[in-house]
Amino acid sequence: MRDVFPWPLWWIVALLALDAICGALPARAQGNYEIQVYGADTVEPKSTMVELHSNFTPEGQKYEIDGVYPTNHQEHETIEITQGLTSWSEVGFYIFTSEQNGHGVQWVGDHIRPRVRVPDSWHWPVGVSLSTEIGYQRAVYSRDTWTWEIRPIVDKYLGRWYLAVNPALERTWHGPDVAQGVGFSPGAKVGYDFTKQISGGVEYYADYGRLGAFDSLHMQQQQIFFVTDLNVSPKWEINFGVGVGPTAGTDHLIVKGIIGRHFSWKKPSPVQ
Amino acid sequence: MLKLSGMAVASAALATLAQQPAPADYTIDIAAYALEVAPRRTVKTIAYNRQVPGPLLRLKEGQPVTINVINQTGNSEVVHWHGLFLPSAVDGATEEGTPLIPGGGRARYTFTPRPAGFRWYHTHTFAGKDLHKSQYTGQHGFLLIEPRDNPAQHDQEIFLALHDWDGDLLANSDGSMDPVYAVSTINGRTLGFGEPLRVKSGEQVRFEILNSSPTEVHWLALAGHRFKVIALDGNQVPQPQTVPMLRLAPAERVTALVEMNRPGVWVMGEVRKHIMAAGMGIVVEYAGSSEKPRWDQPNQLLWDYLKLAATDPISQQADAITIPLVFESKFAGHGAMDHWTINGKSYPETNSPILTAGQRYRLSFINRSTNNHPVHLHRHSFELRRMPGHPETHGIVKDTVLVDAGTEVDVEFTANNPGPTLFHCHQQNHMDAGFMMLFQYA
Repeated sequence: MRDVFPWPLWWIVALLALDAICGALPARAQGNYEIQVYGADTVEPKSTMVELHSNFTPEGQKYEIDGVYPTNHQEHETIEITQGLTSWSEVGFYIFTSEQNGHGVQWVGDHIRPRVRVPDSWHWPVGVSLSTEIGYQRAVYSRDTWTWEIRPIVDKYLGRWYLAVNPALERTWHGPDVAQGVGFSPGAKVGYDFTKQISGGVEYYADYGRLGAFDSLHMQQQQIFFVTDLNVSPKWEINFGVGVGPTAGTDHLIVKGIIGRHFSWKKPSPVQ
Repeated sequence: MLKLSGMAVASAALATLAQQPAPADYTIDIAAYALEVAPRRTVKTIAYNRQVPGPLLRLKEGQPVTINVINQTGNSEVVHWHGLFLPSAVDGATEEGTPLIPGGGRARYTFTPRPAGFRWYHTHTFAGKDLHKSQYTGQHGFLLIEPRDNPAQHDQEIFLALHDWDGDLLANSDGSMDPVYAVSTINGRTLGFGEPLRVKSGEQVRFEILNSSPTEVHWLALAGHRFKVIALDGNQVPQPQTVPMLRLAPAERVTALVEMNRPGVWVMGEVRKHIMAAGMGIVVEYAGSSEKPRWDQPNQLLWDYLKLAATDPISQQADAITIPLVFESKFAGHGAMDHWTINGKSYPETNSPILTAGQRYRLSFINRSTNNHPVHLHRHSFELRRMPGHPETHGIVKDTVLVDAGTEVDVEFTANNPGPTLFHCHQQNHMDAGFMMLFQYA
């Protein structure tokens, strides 16, 4: 039995097709600092996950709009530090930075993200957790400087398949979009294990606009990433992907990478 | 519902009964049961005679016995008599030819029990992803085959079964799914719930301990005391040794003597903290003592089969034919349990080596996986001959041995019980995923 999925071919075809579609559309600035569909699991207590998110926008917004720097050729480096609290809770902290010709390396902002999950002992058929994220970003990188997000997370492994959905809700606390109310920004992922070490899949990110009054499709943010996850060790997390945005409100092409290292602070003991 | 009728039938046979069965020496009812493992915590399971563990069956070596089994569940069942030298038709494995007992049906097992020693009986069906079936349930019980002569001398005999309940399939660090349990018990109760074991100062207690867990190895210690191990899997060891703790892989049994010479109230429990926290422990209370139970936490895990092995030179034995058996896993996804192979094939595609009656065979277990495997040979016993990192050994006779990940173990047995003979990993999730093979006799 052949255990090879011909994804490189359809990936290239899809990229070319989507690039052809979005090439004619203008892009709108957006905050591509941490591009990740969350899984429901949390970091274990007495351990820390340190991740570096590296995102480059080869083709994005080329013009400064309302004092916000253009995203084109921006390189975003985000450090995410997540500390496990209990077997069902964690807290994450983000440091966002941006590097761009003419601006150098700049601090963009910080977020804090507590998260709880349904404990294993509840025997739910799917993984479920709830994350909330509060943070600040400088006005030159986002018109809305204080934002809040609540993100339900549901995921499920089915043999070699992995499914996750993050129907996130966002609210601006300070900035021009305060009056817009709650926005809907779903994310989803479908993954497939080619081998024990190599998984591939598709991630979807969107910002539909205000709940009850979605933006037109043309102005919505819609991104599809073709990603691979490398499961080389329980200590390491490696994710790489290329994303395309076909709508006017989206950066057209983004390359992302995540590398994470798990640190355990437990004293090794055979009788733990 | 344990009945003793005195009826004995000389031949070994299993009959599936449509009508009310004739009286038997014992009757086992398989039925749903709500096991109260802790205050306000109940596990819905299936049990023998509505108790966990099932009733202790005391049989006489060589004296035929008849056991009626009534299956009151909706699923087919079979009862395996673990460690006995039985004909395949009654051994209790459908792979060998023992018929299933349909849901709502009855069966009558008639056999002559041998050899003497501490054995056990349990279900032997497929569970797959359902962690509330087969060995994940309470279908296990003690089986003591008493010798014709020289019965054991002791002041008190205590039977203990270690078990894990309420499993969930969770991702392990190895990249696949494994059962993880919410509750661990001794004799169906968590630590502090139920009656303590009552002992008297100065007495010698014989512990017959069984690990009936579907998948987990357990380490057991008795605070303030040491175990003198005298038998493994019901078979006397050449060199009894006093040890601080016991290790039991699934299906293994240890017979150990404890001198009760430290009056007080003590805890016997799992050495690893998270398993004891899940409930695996029992209070041992000396007569006249009433203080708070005391536990001395060991800081390491200690166990070595070979300390119990014979020390005399290995005598000349008939040449054994070596059968190499390579254990490997096949990744089936991060959301699935691994598949298992023996010599590259999963059951029922595994090869069936042909044995010649009277011939001695050496099974060379080569574990190329990252999991430990408690492998069990039905209807025979084997002798440990080579353990990792040690030269040849002899004298320890078992029916189940734990082969650690990435190691090799050799055992020898004499093909002296013709009939299809099952060999498998005793971890329920491994045997369900292909880790089985059948030996056939020529």
